[in-house]
Amino acid sequence: MIAIENLHKRFGDVRAVDGVSFTARDGAVTGLLGPNGAGKTTTLRMLYTLMRPDEGRILVDGIDPVTDPQGARLRLGVLPDQSGLYPRLTAREHIRYFGELQGITGADLANRTEHLLALLDMKAVADRRVAGFSHGERTKTALARAIVHNPKNVLLDEPTNGLDVMSTRAVREIIRRLKGEGHTVLFSSHVMQEVSALCDTIVVIARGRIVASGSPDELRTQTGHQNLEDAFVALSGLEADLAAEAPGAKAEVAP
Amino acid sequence: MKTSYLAQALVVCRKELVDWSRDRRSIITLLVSSLLGPVMIGVMFNSLASRQRQVEDVTVPIVGAGHAPALVEWLRQQPGITIADGPADAEEAVRSRREDVIVVIPENFAEQFAASKPAPVRLVADSSRQNARPKVERVRALFQRYSSELGSLRLIARGVSPVVAAPVQVEDIEVSSAQQRAAMILGFIPLFVMITAFIGAMQIATDSTAGERERGSLEALLINPAPRGAIAAGKWLAGTATALLAVLFTGGLLFALFQYIPLQDLGLRFQLGVPQLAGTLAAVLPLVPLIVALQMYVATFAKSFKEAQSYLSFLMMVQMVPGMMATMNTMTTKAWMYYIPWLGQQSLMTDVLGNKPIHPAVFVVVAITNIALAIVMVRLTSGLLMREKIIFGR
Repeated sequence: MIAIENLHKRFGDVRAVDGVSFTARDGAVTGLLGPNGAGKTTTLRMLYTLMRPDEGRILVDGIDPVTDPQGARLRLGVLPDQSGLYPRLTAREHIRYFGELQGITGADLANRTEHLLALLDMKAVADRRVAGFSHGERTKTALARAIVHNPKNVLLDEPTNGLDVMSTRAVREIIRRLKGEGHTVLFSSHVMQEVSALCDTIVVIARGRIVASGSPDELRTQTGHQNLEDAFVALSGLEADLAAEAPGAKAEVAP
Repeated sequence: MKTSYLAQALVVCRKELVDWSRDRRSIITLLVSSLLGPVMIGVMFNSLASRQRQVEDVTVPIVGAGHAPALVEWLRQQPGITIADGPADAEEAVRSRREDVIVVIPENFAEQFAASKPAPVRLVADSSRQNARPKVERVRALFQRYSSELGSLRLIARGVSPVVAAPVQVEDIEVSSAQQRAAMILGFIPLFVMITAFIGAMQIATDSTAGERERGSLEALLINPAPRGAIAAGKWLAGTATALLAVLFTGGLLFALFQYIPLQDLGLRFQLGVPQLAGTLAAVLPLVPLIVALQMYVATFAKSFKEAQSYLSFLMMVQMVPGMMATMNTMTTKAWMYYIPWLGQQSLMTDVLGNKPIHPAVFVVVAITNIALAIVMVRLTSGLLMREKIIFGR
């Protein structure tokens, strides 16, 4: 369970996150939907302890990542915005490395690794160096190492970005499975279909603010658009921005 | 908590070492940097020794040896001189570089000699050939000695003191002796050892910091609950291991090399035996962790591997300054220098190789200082890993 209250973060003059509040429940998939530069990544970075909020409060299973980052990290599995791999290590070694860093060892680690490799359909490439991997195989490796410790809360920053159909399916499968096992899944996306297909709750974010939240049906009712994409465009104020450059767009470029 | 900290550091260390060992470029860099010193020192010594030997063991081809059997016999008795039959066309043989110098004794030698007139001997040589010069000089000096010995005898036979015939006595004082050149080459040993330590550390120090940032793997790594200190320490341990490996390798090679270098031919009493090797390693090894820690700290600021390497190349030039100054003999060792990293290693190695006795406590203090400084640097680096600007900075 993740609870965020009135979160703020600014870089220089840019208010990247400007008063964001929402809750992601256990056993549910929450989608953070917004255009590029809306503040999704910055929000997640504060959640996964690598950025410190200027204001506001975060609770991960009741633990504040600001005061107890170590405790929060134990309860989080993260596929970050940048999930670079080590080209000279194999997929299995990546999973093992992160497992060991989480304090898992021996047979337990071996079992979890096998399980994840099977789940992500990666057995065939498990012992190859990732240097030769496709984008899909890389994402699956990064995902596997992120959840090797079976974290209660799973954060995924644009997990299906640029993936082919098969890999997208595998990732969606994992997300549904995690939800079924009672995990809290929070993922960000700028793709409407992605969010509507998976999410129980959608949080629409634009220019660092929450502009709407609720189930897909609630959003349709709220905006009066039957088509979710129209609803999204209306909510994020994209129509108004088509002429002018979105000032929030810089937020994801700046650190 | 303490054991898990160490366990986490070892996990990171092992991963970095596996990663490093699979990078062919890093292995080649390590090998080349370790070989650099021994090979260069070996080559310098060999050319010095062979030049020296060339002068000491000279084969003198003589044309017309039968015309002056006494002279030839005297030459034959001189140490290091071998007499050979000269080729028919002496000038052509020298011109075509088949011989460096040829002695030609003309037919009228015996006749002139018997008449106590200057008996002619021709030295055929090419003065434009630099490396033949010492040999020519050696042969010329032999004839001059023979000449003056006989001249003295003739004067004595006539009741005149030979001293009368030598109004001026020229004494050669050679300042650039082979020994001195050899000592200068030995002065390069500390410099090469330090370069090896630096290059041996560089791969992991850059790849695990700036490289990790450039690949975008740092963010994922830091979300792990492993403490930043343990992550930095693990990387440091791995870098230290590879740098130690490089230093031990180059030390072993130097040791092996010095068992074969004919130092005695150069009139050197220097030896790179077990005590010298042990002393050199005892001086340098404690600096290695500090070199790695410093490199990591600097490389953590760099956004890319390349940027890190250019910072570190500059750093390497700075660390070479004491060694360079020592080889150019512009540095006199003062007591405080032993305790300053880099300066201290240079001073200690110079003393060890020069067989100067050093109190063991100095080694201990130097080791403790260097390792303590290294730990401080690692702490600073792990502090950097908490900064948003470092983690996400582009």
